[in-house]
Amino acid sequence: MAETESKRILVVDDASLVRRYYRDALERAGFEVDEALNGVEALEKLLTEPADLLIVDVNMPQMDGFTFLRSLRRQAPSIASIPALVISTEAGPHDRRAARSAGANFYLVKPVAQDALVQHVAIMCGLPA
Amino acid sequence: MSEVEPVSEEELRAICEFLYRRTGMLFGEAKRYYVQRRISDRMNILGIAPFLTYFAYLRSDADGEIEKFVNAFTVNETYFYREDHQLRCLSSHLLNERVRAKRPGEALRIWSVPCATGEEPYSIAIWLLENWPEVDVQDIEIIGSDIDTQCTAAAGEGEYGARALMRLSPQLVEKYFVPAGKDRWRVVPELRQSVQFNSANITKASETRQHGIFDVIFCRNVLIYFDDASRRVAAENLFEALAPGGFICLGHTESMSRISPLFDVRRFPDAIVYQRPPAGGKGGRSDG
Amino acid sequence: MPLVRKPSPQTPAAAAPPALSEGTSEQRWSAVRAAADRPDGLALLADALSRESDPRVREAIFTGLARLASPESAAVVVHYLRSDDANLRTGAVDALRAMPQACWPHLPVLLADSDADVRLLSCELARGLPDEEANRMLCDLLDRETERNVCAAVIEVLAEIGRPEALPSLARCGSRFFGDPFIAFSLKVATERIAAPARDRRE
Repeated sequence: MAETESKRILVVDDASLVRRYYRDALERAGFEVDEALNGVEALEKLLTEPADLLIVDVNMPQMDGFTFLRSLRRQAPSIASIPALVISTEAGPHDRRAARSAGANFYLVKPVAQDALVQHVAIMCGLPA
Repeated sequence: MSEVEPVSEEELRAICEFLYRRTGMLFGEAKRYYVQRRISDRMNILGIAPFLTYFAYLRSDADGEIEKFVNAFTVNETYFYREDHQLRCLSSHLLNERVRAKRPGEALRIWSVPCATGEEPYSIAIWLLENWPEVDVQDIEIIGSDIDTQCTAAAGEGEYGARALMRLSPQLVEKYFVPAGKDRWRVVPELRQSVQFNSANITKASETRQHGIFDVIFCRNVLIYFDDASRRVAAENLFEALAPGGFICLGHTESMSRISPLFDVRRFPDAIVYQRPPAGGKGGRSDG
Repeated sequence: MPLVRKPSPQTPAAAAPPALSEGTSEQRWSAVRAAADRPDGLALLADALSRESDPRVREAIFTGLARLASPESAAVVVHYLRSDDANLRTGAVDALRAMPQACWPHLPVLLADSDADVRLLSCELARGLPDEEANRMLCDLLDRETERNVCAAVIEVLAEIGRPEALPSLARCGSRFFGDPFIAFSLKVATERIAAPARDRRE
């Protein structure tokens, strides 16, 4: 588990229970998890301490997930290059394409099972699934 | 005296999230311990036992509980060189950026609002005199404003007790203050005259407009006390009072993320500050 | 009602209606901010909102409507909860959240709206109501709600403000969505939190 312990995941979602659900799964798998309530808070946190991976909800108030991602991709390279797993309620190809063009690396549709989340995160971090 | 059981991590998160939504204050991991302490204090003082009961009490804002809770973090007694990391950021980065945007002979304008009894604007002045290389060649206007005219009157007098000066070295006290009675010091006349004090209510555009356009605004630990509507309009008024590319510094637990989308975030080695987007070009490139 | 009439030279600028749909976005932003303080502010803002597409100007319009905090200004904003534009919807929610007293009379209708998105957004607005009333309204909604995402939104709010009387509705919700891992997780967290006051240990 030493490999996962060094990986830092930032979960960006306005719903506390969703963040808790992801945190619960990821911490049990040995990841370090931080949370942000919205895209602006996420950017502020990343500017202070970069993460290895972002989990981003599309449907957030104030700054929706796509706007956040586009803003992220405009930042300095150390932050702009952080891979992002986007989670959405929408399953259509149009939505997936929109996510990709906003800068998402991976796209999952809710409801996401905890072990599926951990698997995807592990893969994206380059770890054995 | 009974000890209140420490709240669980989950309860702590719930209360921090509530406070963030209500005030814009962000409590990171490092600060959570102080929130824990504060909860225990308040529960002891009020004689409220289960956390959930206190949480409901806090959420209802009974008897102004939110303000009472938050007061512990804003340290109501002000003192010189408080949050000096922001002053370092000012002299190391912010002013140098702003100087490039000024026309020859144009003064840099710095606003401290609310200024309370003047410690902050005088601190800014002293800090710049001591630490900013350009201070001799660049005109600087420092304005201190507050809604409380008794405060601004006292600020104009510039008299302080020992506690307010506790973070200043004896050399600085010697240089910028003269004794004014037992354990009291007064800011030297030259410095008093170089800071202007007046009144302003930042929720009223008609009042903020009177003070002109600024390069840097310090607005620390006041937005957290406003309700959502007042906070939004105050942020708009402060935005309007900033020159394009100008900066605003909030209190160290405050985040603009809950307050207004108008500003870009800028990360400097010493502080996170917020910036009105520069005219024409793209603002908000991070330096971190 | 056209707002774009330029003031005639004799009219003092202060008395003329600001040109809310003219000029650069910065000019419109200033005009909109000035409109909120006028006696005809509500009508000006309502009209401007129906035409404005710039997010910053929209935000300022919503701020103006929130400051008015009247049943009428709330009614104007409520309309945008139904917008196809996600940013308008969230702008509306934020504005309603900033005028709680004006918004609350609308909640029973909003929580029963035929549009699931409206119901979902309105759960957030119930958060600021006095606890007993909020619990009652949200449990009523939960008991009839068929949309998973709306239930998740209700549980999210009840996790913060839920009282013991909400427990039966939460339990019933669990059986309706049996097999949904996130709903099961949320219900567990919410239920544990609400039932917690039984724990009152002192050293």
